[in-house]
Amino acid sequence: MGLLKRPPDLCYVGAVKIALAQIAPRLGDMPRNLALHREWIRAARKEKADLIVFPELSLTGYALRDLTEEVALDPGRSPVFKELAGLSRDITIVLGFVEEKRDDPGLFYNAAACFGEGRLLHVHRKVYLPTGGMFEEGRFFAAGRNFKPFRAPFGRTGLMICRDFLQLGAGYLQLVGGAEVLLVISAAPGRGFGTDQAFATSRMWELMGEALSFFTTSYVIYCNRVGVEEGMTFAGGSFVFSPRGELLDKAAALEPGLLIQTIDLTAVRDVRRKWGFRREEKPEVILHALDRAIGSHED
Amino acid sequence: MKISAPFVEKVLVRFIREELGRSGFKKGILGLSGGLDSAVCAALAARALGPAQVLGLIMPYGTSFREDVRDAEASARTLGIRCRTIDIAPQVDAYFARYPTRNRVLPGNKMARERMSILYDVSARDKSLILGTSNKTELLIGYGTIHGDMACAISPLGDLYKTQVRELAAHLGLPERIRKKRPTAGLWPGQTDEGELGVSYDELDRILFALVDERKPRREVVRAGFKPAVVDKILAMIKASEFKRKMPPIAKVSSRTIGHDFLYPYDWGK
Repeated sequence: MGLLKRPPDLCYVGAVKIALAQIAPRLGDMPRNLALHREWIRAARKEKADLIVFPELSLTGYALRDLTEEVALDPGRSPVFKELAGLSRDITIVLGFVEEKRDDPGLFYNAAACFGEGRLLHVHRKVYLPTGGMFEEGRFFAAGRNFKPFRAPFGRTGLMICRDFLQLGAGYLQLVGGAEVLLVISAAPGRGFGTDQAFATSRMWELMGEALSFFTTSYVIYCNRVGVEEGMTFAGGSFVFSPRGELLDKAAALEPGLLIQTIDLTAVRDVRRKWGFRREEKPEVILHALDRAIGSHED
Repeated sequence: MKISAPFVEKVLVRFIREELGRSGFKKGILGLSGGLDSAVCAALAARALGPAQVLGLIMPYGTSFREDVRDAEASARTLGIRCRTIDIAPQVDAYFARYPTRNRVLPGNKMARERMSILYDVSARDKSLILGTSNKTELLIGYGTIHGDMACAISPLGDLYKTQVRELAAHLGLPERIRKKRPTAGLWPGQTDEGELGVSYDELDRILFALVDERKPRREVVRAGFKPAVVDKILAMIKASEFKRKMPPIAKVSSRTIGHDFLYPYDWGK
């Protein structure tokens, strides 16, 4: 329905030049990371990009543990956010940060912010916090509770953070919410012996990128970080898939770099006329079935 | 178990470079034994930091391991890294002259700890960070001296089994002499790891890979064709050496305790 309400000139903005900033933030060093963001935003602007995407927790680094509370920001009050909003007048910016609101203190969220048109447009809080094995996010972060696509300057966008993307329900809610672009920011450490070019786990992300882009008939933009923290090497390999499930471009593993790719949002309309995955979806059936499944579940 | 050696090289070179750089170091130091692990570690460090920024310390006990010293010197020469030889016999002998023992393991441990103390001293003088040379096989079965050869600032090879280190060595172009050398802890002349452990590295690594990486229970590993007695011995060694892989437990009495709920990253403030 969101699509119908949109004025025609916004409906088909067409080409969007995106820049994926595959960077290595410094753990716990906000001033340095902010400087890094300024630098890469400048580089993206030079490329005339409409959108720049940074990885998960790009302002803070990933393995924060007890540092989490020291690097938290309140989006409504932070001078850092004010500066980033100012930088977004001519380029949309998506990045990762730790959120703590003054009116809900002591709860820290692994969050993604989207800035555009000179203001903060949307914040997504990571819902699925991997906790177990090498991951311990649930020890330090509170979990978000929603997947709600929002209106970005170029089209309806669903934000996800790392593990969110690998949980099927998240992608489903983006489809139902009408997202045309699934935008994923990630800090995925590589593991397992894969190819001479990448870790074994990189394949998992591409598999989901291919599947979700095709079956949600949306663009999938995935920005992963690089660098080393606590012995973990972040895998890089950021990518873009078209709504037809085609890999449009992929960044190298391990190397920092700016991946530039132009996407054409009219492709979403073209594909959705052909493939009725969104048109024929029945969220109310799923909702009732879920109700029944949860109701009959043994406690 | 097969690794993609070119990719592993890239990961480890970055790891060494980033970990050292973050701590404000440009130089690395390591003990060169003349064996496979330290040769591979030195080769990776030379690629990561530049050969001139790497110092290899050769620390033989007297003249009992001449061949190993020659191999270590040859490795250093080939890589172009800096190298120094320090004989540890005087300080080890001084101690055991006062406190003699017939136990063959005690002098071995003492030697490992003397080497460690020299490495830390020279690293401070040279403003360099210590690269550990332990591999995953040794770490898992506890085949190393705690606060001795296990002591280091960073551990580039700690997630690679011995046979995988050998694969990496071939990719890095290390001479066949080093790659084919029978692994030894150098505890006494003629000692070999495989002789002392009673199992070949090839078999040991395959069992460890099944138990650890593939998380297989004992019965499945035995069903795969490995001798129950060998599997049990390896399991016992893993359990008995867990203390070597951990910081010691701190008795918790306060509301916030180091290691329990005072949890900062290793890279804190770097």
